[in-house]
Amino acid sequence: MRYASRKDSAWSVLRRAVLPLFAALTLANLPVASRAEDLYIICHPSVTLSPADLRDVFLGEKQFAGQVRLLPADNSAARATFLEKVLRMDYAKYLTAWTKKSFRDGVNPPTVSGSDAEALEYVRRAPGRCSYITSAPGPGVLVVATF
Amino acid sequence: MPSAKSTARSLCGLAVLLLTCAASGPAHAAADADQVAQLQTRLEESLKAIDQLTARVRELEARMDAVQPGGTAAVAGAGGAPGAAPAAPTGAAPPATSAPGAAPEQRLTSLENEVAAITAANAARHEDMGLPLHGFADVGAGTRNPVNPNLHGAAVGSVDFYLTPQLGAHTRSLFELNFKIGTNGDLVTALERAQLGYQFGDAATVWLGRFHTPYGYYNTAFHHGQQISTALRRPGVVQFETTGGVLPAHAVGLWLQGSSRLDLGRVTYDAYVANAPRIVGGVLDSNNAGNAHGDALYGGNFGYLPGGSLDGLRFGVSAFGTKVQDDLVVRNLTRVNNYGVYAVYDTDRWENIAEYYWFDNKDLSGATGSHNSDMGFIQLAYRAGLWTPYARYEHSDLDQTDHYFSAQRFGNSYYRTALGVRYDLDWSSALKLEIAQTHVTDRNIDTYEEALMQYAIRF
Repeated sequence: MRYASRKDSAWSVLRRAVLPLFAALTLANLPVASRAEDLYIICHPSVTLSPADLRDVFLGEKQFAGQVRLLPADNSAARATFLEKVLRMDYAKYLTAWTKKSFRDGVNPPTVSGSDAEALEYVRRAPGRCSYITSAPGPGVLVVATF
Repeated sequence: MPSAKSTARSLCGLAVLLLTCAASGPAHAAADADQVAQLQTRLEESLKAIDQLTARVRELEARMDAVQPGGTAAVAGAGGAPGAAPAAPTGAAPPATSAPGAAPEQRLTSLENEVAAITAANAARHEDMGLPLHGFADVGAGTRNPVNPNLHGAAVGSVDFYLTPQLGAHTRSLFELNFKIGTNGDLVTALERAQLGYQFGDAATVWLGRFHTPYGYYNTAFHHGQQISTALRRPGVVQFETTGGVLPAHAVGLWLQGSSRLDLGRVTYDAYVANAPRIVGGVLDSNNAGNAHGDALYGGNFGYLPGGSLDGLRFGVSAFGTKVQDDLVVRNLTRVNNYGVYAVYDTDRWENIAEYYWFDNKDLSGATGSHNSDMGFIQLAYRAGLWTPYARYEHSDLDQTDHYFSAQRFGNSYYRTALGVRYDLDWSSALKLEIAQTHVTDRNIDTYEEALMQYAIRF
């Protein structure tokens, strides 16, 4: 009986403390993991783009959406994720691609924001602007694609 | 309810205690009085110490409030009642505990406002980025100067600056200034490009000015950008006019260019009309200030990029036509028709480029008739991390009875085999080595070898 009682006690501790702790950690980690993978490509509402256009926009091959001049901006806080998920190239190749484009066609590379908040504010301020952030943007901008 | 037994036990105990006290009382009365006096003194000293400590605590709290203004009111109230004895801090305790709850909110709001202001200022900063200045530079050494065969050793390549001022939604501009050392060691400056353009959209931009003539791929893709080209030097067949080329690498005129994405990939096009070049001192001159005879250089380029599973592949055709006059004693005028095809495969691993040009020229001033010539190159490069080995074969077979070539200093035929390697020191600089063997097949027939080194950067 004493053995059974100890067993019950251990199970009780496991059930009452360890499992909830494990569940809490799991739940706490899940949103973090998904946040790290989320990437929102956002544009000013004046812009009409399809997800298939994004590569061309951020490599300078597409500079207009209708009559609206596109002004993409990088977000250094999310650039690594963006390059990996959207352009599928590393930073060095990205820089080289823009150097070639700029030298050949006289197109300026995207300006650079330092955070999600700055990228969001940049996009909201004027027509034609696009960037990318890692959290849901809320109203005032158009989400072109989510990765 | 206590039982009778326990009550009796308690009464007995009390009786014994009283008897004991009564027996010892007279003997210890004096000593007890002394002890009580000592205890009273110590009690008074303790109370004084407590008072001192209380005062000290108040003083420290007051100092903390001075450091943390958010908590000032409550604790200052406590400290502001010096007469209130130890009870004062206790009375001040409730406001002291509620104040920190309010103060962080104020601080958070203030911080939020500050961050919003910084964010807005940074976002506004994008609107005025100034005028970015970029460029390329290269230096090198070799057993034989690529331009002047009588020289060897270290040499300055060129320093190239380009500017792309952003002037508006549709207005574009591009300026490029190049400094290089000429064949005789003098500094040569050149306004490589000076273009002003109006962009209607992705499909059409009209440029006016001096630009890189859009034939083939290499001339517009790399030009003076030695750091972005894999190989150590341009193929001879598409060299600059002053360093060995027979094609007009620059043009002054009107240039329409654009691109469009289709379901099956992307197409690019160029169409241009420019001043007809002339041959001055054995070198093609693009007539920057206009030409005398009014002839034009006109041409176009059409490219196709399939994309998708063939991403990185590009191929196209180009052509130009013009009339070129030389400056010989008996001047010659030649109708030059050039047709080109090119293919590029540029991926993370490969950079393969092939271009081929065919001339169908006609002597307009003499009686030598029509002349056909051809030239081309193929370059294969494999990107293996920081190392990129490459191989290139160049070939030109130029009709020396054609005045267009015979009047040019570099109009001889040749073929060259080159092996090289590029090492990327970082994203902006590269070291290149090349060995090559060249056979000059007409005029002064010759064969020579070269070992060249180059250090190229971009900024």
